[in-house]
Order: sequence, then structure tokens, then C-alpha cells
Amino acid sequence: MRARDLLTEFPTVTLDTLVVDAARLMAERDLAGLIVVTDEGRPHSVLPGTQVLALAVPGYCQDDPALARVVDEEHADRFLDALGDSTVRQALPKNPRELPVTDPDATLLEIAALMARTRSPLVAVVDDGRLLGAITLQALMDQVTGA
Amino acid sequence: MTVLAWVSVSVFLGAYALIATERIHRVAAALGGAGIMLLIHASDAGAAFFSHDTGVDWNVIFLLLGMMVIVGVLKKTGVFEYLAIWAAKRARGRPYRLMVLLVLITAGASALLDNVTTVLLIAPVTFLVCERLGLKVAPYLIAEALASNIGGASTLVGDPPNIIIASRGGLSFNDFLVHMAPMVVVLVIVFLGLCRVLFRKAFVYDEARAREIMQLNEREAIADPRLLWQSLVVLALVMVAFVLHPVLHYEPSIVAILGAGILVAATKVTTEDAISEVEWPTLVFFMGLFVMVGALVETGVIGQISRLAVDATEGQLGLTTMVLLWASTGLSAIVDNIPYVATMSPIVADLVQANGGNEHAEVLWWALAFGADLGGNATAVGAAANVVILGIAARNRHPISFWEFTKYGLVVTLVTVALVTPYLWLRYLM
Repeated sequence: MRARDLLTEFPTVTLDTLVVDAARLMAERDLAGLIVVTDEGRPHSVLPGTQVLALAVPGYCQDDPALARVVDEEHADRFLDALGDSTVRQALPKNPRELPVTDPDATLLEIAALMARTRSPLVAVVDDGRLLGAITLQALMDQVTGA
Repeated sequence: MTVLAWVSVSVFLGAYALIATERIHRVAAALGGAGIMLLIHASDAGAAFFSHDTGVDWNVIFLLLGMMVIVGVLKKTGVFEYLAIWAAKRARGRPYRLMVLLVLITAGASALLDNVTTVLLIAPVTFLVCERLGLKVAPYLIAEALASNIGGASTLVGDPPNIIIASRGGLSFNDFLVHMAPMVVVLVIVFLGLCRVLFRKAFVYDEARAREIMQLNEREAIADPRLLWQSLVVLALVMVAFVLHPVLHYEPSIVAILGAGILVAATKVTTEDAISEVEWPTLVFFMGLFVMVGALVETGVIGQISRLAVDATEGQLGLTTMVLLWASTGLSAIVDNIPYVATMSPIVADLVQANGGNEHAEVLWWALAFGADLGGNATAVGAAANVVILGIAARNRHPISFWEFTKYGLVVTLVTVALVTPYLWLRYLM
């Protein structure tokens, strides 16, 4: 079995999407993460859900973990409000990591190894720079365990 | 001068230019320069590793190492976040009062810790507090960077140039407390007045938001109260040992490294934790600098410059002091003050000797320290703390431009150094 047999269509966001909208998309459709594409439709980043969350966590809490504790419950419940109109481009970390991107011919083992290495529950499948879709951790696990 | 001396000068200038322009990593530039000095026999292992005057100054290296470990543990305890939020509450959300307290905390902390660590600790919590109060964060961040450089001037351990000056000039922790600290207190008070004027547009009070600041729980910042007390006790012991040098006869480097050792041995902090807190690149940078400058001494270049300086300034200690103060200010505004002070120290040491070597002549050391420490405030790239603040601001989407910082920094530098000028004159030169 190859990557092309497992891939499904996957919604994407662009660099100019608001972080709030990206988070909402993920929540409403129960996605494992998000694929950020450039204006030409090439994958720019593949973000596991936890990293989408990182886009929304205030910078001072990421710089200094102690500060997340001092915020009172009322404000902590509403931390997403502080995002305002910041975009995915502004919130992405400056030094991108290895992208979980593969080609349609990749085997299950290749995909599994890539997911494990990049700690991403989501692998984008790209052919000639064009995004074909994605393979989720769930789909891969179902396949390899025969569930 | 010999051919070797001229070659060593060009190697030094080349490395210095690379450090100043950041064309390559500063550690690579310093080590590359040191390597070439050894390659061309401008220096050798005996001088580089074992000479106090022309080699690596291990007092400086181990003092930095020990303090890095102690501070590394202390910064994780949450005590600075606690203090900053406590200050915001004490200020009851009044913008200027908040700035006064944050400046005092920053200046006080950077007298004990290095400036970069201090601003790294205070900046994130400043974002939180300003966001809650709906205040522009840039003025607060700029004020903190400036305060850290002023406060750092007050003690031997407050700013790396002071550590170099202390070791090269044979000056004690108490010398800094007596000669630098009182004037720094005056400068901080004047700086607070300047802040009131310079940042007046930023002070907008919003009563509703001010009430919300009271909901922050500063106690939650302290994750491990036991570790906090242990590290505060060690820091206090280290400071006491610094002060009691005339009685105990432990050099500052020994005190710091023993303090770090006690902290690791007596608390749950592991050796691995302690080692990971040390900024090894900074230590290696210092070592490279010392070998490079040492080579200039070995080849007689520094001696030649010193002779020229002594001849030119003979019998004019007052004029020499003022030129040194203002030239150090100007140069430290443009280039990193650490390599500057490392290079100037052997020359100033010769000048102090030529002027009698007594406490009177030591005014030259204080001029160098004030100039290098305060000059760093003049531009956004003048001091490491400024660069760090600009980086944090950009990462948090509140970018501060080079000129925005520099226009405030320049005013503060001019005013503070202008005040130091009569201080040195009246106290040492009358």
C-alpha cells in the first residue's frame, strides 16, 4: 500500500488566515492539525494540533511558563480573545522545522517513520509541488493494525 | 615596532571588525583571531593559558561561570515574575508608578545579575501587565533595558566590563560599592525623572483595566518555594562573602564558583541542570578576546600605545579622565563594550601606574567603567540587553525600531554621562 491509497482531501489555510479562524476550522471539523499553504498552493507548514494551539498562546507565556500560572481563571478562559487580528504568518515560529511532507509513492513504513520523527499526526502528500491531500495518524493506525 | 607586532595589530583589527559588524559569529571571530595569534607566534601556550597579564583571565571566566549557575537556578524560581506583578498591583495600575517600580526592580536586579538575564526575566511579565492595563509596552521595555545598563554599573558583578576592570585593576567588590554604586543611585533617580518626561504620552490610566490587574495571582509564579529560599540564601551568602573580602580573603571568582557548587550540592538542582545554564559561547568568547589582547601585549603593541598615551597626558590626570570617560561612552555606543574594555584595560592599567598607582589615579578605572557601562545605552546595538529587548519585542509583535530605541537611549546616555563628569571631577580630581 502506498501513500496515494490512504490520502484524503484535507482543508488548508493560508499564511494570511486569521489565527482565530484557523483554530475554529480545526475545532469544528475535528482535525488533527492544519496544513498552511502558500499563495501558489504549496505546503508552507504542516502544523500538528498542539502547534496550532501554540499560535494562539500569548508570547509571554511561551517565553516564561511561570506566567501562565499567574493569570486568573476568568482571563485564562478567554485567552483566545487576545489574538485580535493576528495572522498565521505572524504567529508561526521563525525557524521552521522539518515538514511532514511525502510523495504519493511513499510506503506505510515511510509515512509512519516520518510521523514519528516529526511528531506530527498529519502528513501532507505532495506531487510536483502540488498538494494532493493528507494522511492522518488515525487512518494510518487503522490500516497497519487492520482495525 | 617589529613586523610581528604590525601583523598582530592587523589580525586584531580584522577580528574586531568582524565582531563589530557581526559578519560571522562573534565566538568564531574571537577564536579565529586568537588562533592566528598563536599560529604566528604572537602568543604561546605559556602566555595564553598561564599569564595573568597576557592570557585568559581565569578570575573573570570562573566568576562569570559561577554567577551563571546561581542565576540560572534563581531565574527558574519565579521570584522576578512575583516581584513584577506585585509591583503592578502596588502601583494600582497607575502607569507612571508602574514604570517607576519596574525600573527599580530591573536596576536592582541587574546590580546582582547580569543585564541580559535581568531583561529576559522582566520583559515577558511586562507584556502581561501592559496588555492587562491596555498600555503600550514599548516604552516600558525600553525603560527596562536602559535601567538594566545603569543598574549594572553599580557593582563588580553587575556588568561584564566591570568584572574585567576589577580583575585587571585589582579592584574589590567594595571598591565598586564605594566608588560606583552611590553615583548609580543618583543616576537611577534622575533616570526616573527623565522617564516621566520622555514617555509622558504612554501614561494613559484606565480605571476599569486597573481593577483587572488586581486579579493576577503573583503567588502562583513561585513553583517551588523551598528552592526559592535556598537560592536566595546562597545568593545572599555570595554577596556577603564578596563584601567580606578584606576579612575572608576569597577572590570573587572563588566565591561565585563555591556558591554555585553549594547550590548544586545542597538543593535538588542537578549537575546537568547547572551545566545547561552556563552560556558556554560567552565564556569561550571571553577566552578568545583575552588571548588576542594578550598577544598585543606580548608583541609590545599595547606597551607602545600606553607609552604614547602616558607621554601625551603627562601630568594631566583630569583631562585624561574626561577623554577616557567620553571616548569610552562613544565607542561603547557603537561596538560591544566587552571587547572594548578587554582591550583598554591593559592601557588603563599602565596609565594608572604612570599617574602614581594610588587611589587618586584609580579614577581612570571608574571613568572606563562608567563610560563603557552607560555608553551601551546610547544606541539599540550598544549593549546586549538592548539587542535582547528588541528581539523579544519583535517576537511578540510589538516591534521597536532601531531609531525608536536610540532616540531615548541617546538622551539618557548624554544626561547620565554628563552627570558622571562633575562627579568624577569633584570627587577625585579637585
